Amino acid sequence: MSAPVLSLRGIVKSYGAARALDGVDLELRSHEVLAVIGDSGAGKSTLVGVISGNQRPDAGEIAVGGRAVTLASPAVARQHGIASVFQDLALAPNLDVVENLFLGAELTRGSFLDEVSMEKQAWELLGQLSVRVPSVRVPVGALSAAQRQAVAIARALLGEPRVIVLDEPTSALGTRQTAQFLTLLERLRERGHGVVVTSHSLVDMHAVADRIVVLRLGRVNGEFDAALATQEELLAAVTGVGAPRRGEERGGGAR
Amino acid sequence: MLRRVGTDRVTPGSQTSLREANRARIVNAVQQRGSLTQVELAGVTGLSPATVSNIVKELVASGVLQTSPTSRSGRRAQQVTLARNLGLVAGVHFGARSLRVALSDVTHRILAEERMPLPPEHRADAGLDRATLLVTELVESVDARLDEVLAVGVGVPAPVDPATGQVSSHGLLRGWDGVAVPEVLGGRLDVPVHVDNETNLGALAESRLGAGRGREHMLYVRVSHGVGGGLVLGGRLFRGRIGAAGEIGHVSVDEHGALCRCGNRGCLETVIGAIALMESVRQSHGPLTLRDIVTRALSGDPGCRRLVSDAGRSLGAALATVCNVVDPELVVVGGQLAQAGELLLEPVRSAIESRAILSLAGPVEVVAGELGPSAEVRGALALALDHVAVPGAGGPA
Repeated sequence: MSAPVLSLRGIVKSYGAARALDGVDLELRSHEVLAVIGDSGAGKSTLVGVISGNQRPDAGEIAVGGRAVTLASPAVARQHGIASVFQDLALAPNLDVVENLFLGAELTRGSFLDEVSMEKQAWELLGQLSVRVPSVRVPVGALSAAQRQAVAIARALLGEPRVIVLDEPTSALGTRQTAQFLTLLERLRERGHGVVVTSHSLVDMHAVADRIVVLRLGRVNGEFDAALATQEELLAAVTGVGAPRRGEERGGGAR
Repeated sequence: MLRRVGTDRVTPGSQTSLREANRARIVNAVQQRGSLTQVELAGVTGLSPATVSNIVKELVASGVLQTSPTSRSGRRAQQVTLARNLGLVAGVHFGARSLRVALSDVTHRILAEERMPLPPEHRADAGLDRATLLVTELVESVDARLDEVLAVGVGVPAPVDPATGQVSSHGLLRGWDGVAVPEVLGGRLDVPVHVDNETNLGALAESRLGAGRGREHMLYVRVSHGVGGGLVLGGRLFRGRIGAAGEIGHVSVDEHGALCRCGNRGCLETVIGAIALMESVRQSHGPLTLRDIVTRALSGDPGCRRLVSDAGRSLGAALATVCNVVDPELVVVGGQLAQAGELLLEPVRSAIESRAILSLAGPVEVVAGELGPSAEVRGALALALDHVAVPGAGGPA
């Protein structure tokens, strides 16, 4: 099996007297969707903040591809191949899809913008993600919430990151849009990225994740193989009923 | 207007009743196959081209059918479909790990479709909630209203009692046992709902719209997360006593094999189902999904190729037994594993050939499904359409 592309050891982060993360270990492989679930206040957002370089942990080690790193800022995290998409998406609604994708990283040909190549790449990327947009020349503001989100994710993919971090991506989506997003997650996995996704929707995450880590009060309260875990076990871990357990204890085989 | 079918009775054997029966034949044929030329209609119904032409003209005038010019082998022809404005139908397919919903008009033209991954061992209540929301959102997306939906067809990955619409198995689909889908979903959408087993619907779709067109006797197998099958005999879906006909996934192939979710031991599904395949690559390749296995096999990974061809051999061995019993004209293989194409089908054929009865006509033909992952949802749409009462068709088929 491949070495983890991202690993966190003993991450601690406090806000004053409140411990948001209390010794969290996490491993992510490429070609894997890792879901982090938990109630509000469990530490999901802080964990995502640490991985994306937005928050510095008080203690603990982070390694990318086996090398210890310090993720001092989102820019540093991106240099290490970690791209993040947050709830606000950070898109410019009045610019079109191509302009948003290449904002600040425009392709040029001589001293001119290479619109043709950019448009071609945009279609390719959206095609790979099975994203349906009417045109890459419509302003992003005119797209649906799921389409906007797909554009934000496509933009994150342009630097070919090893790790993609998605924070609460389904919270603002309708059922159909959630369906499209979950299918998109499967595509990301097929492209070989390691994906960390946080959500409080247990059912959605159970549907697409390979592994599920449950956070509770800043600690890992269970790690599950999604194909083998039952919803009762996941719920118990989220709410804190029953003892914490690790997924590896569970036997394999057809059930 | 659509659901009200003419009730005034005519004397049997009279000219009028004959004409009415012919009209019903034509409408039913168009309803089942989506679109046909007038010449094909004559072939299918056994009526003379002149009669077909007259009746079609009459039905176009009364707004039931519509025609458009087309060509068949270089000749001009009239394509006949149901009138688009008759309404919409929805198809819902619950697979072991995904939900697919499609919306079509009465001519089998798909207007909108969506797929959603589902968690393992999903529950009926949550699943039917999602299906309700998806159908509603799809209807809105084509600027229609829910009351324009004439019927909904639903496929579930377990046997369904044809009489009651209840999931009739025990333990095959935990969380769905005994659920009466027509009542639950019909109650939420306020539309008539018809249910069948997913592979029965796949068989129906492939036989009418896909690889089995024009064949009388066909066996369809679906190899995906689970393994199932459906039988079309004499052009009609054969469901059996509790709707479990064709459940090839639970044919016992190894008396000392692994325990199956159905409670028996060594079922075909415990050998070639997704869980078994994923388990056998885990040691060498790490965790892979069924899709990954197929993709890697196609791109030349020796381990995954071996896994797929072994699955084909086991499948072929089980199919040979079925072929000896029902002697179909055609075996259609669908489901995710069938995306591996000849890698799977070649070993299936040779395993069947070495076991099935030798015949002068040669071994049974084995082909991949034409409708791919949409076969089951297309079948759900066809099921719904079969239950739509079209004026002039003489009631639901």
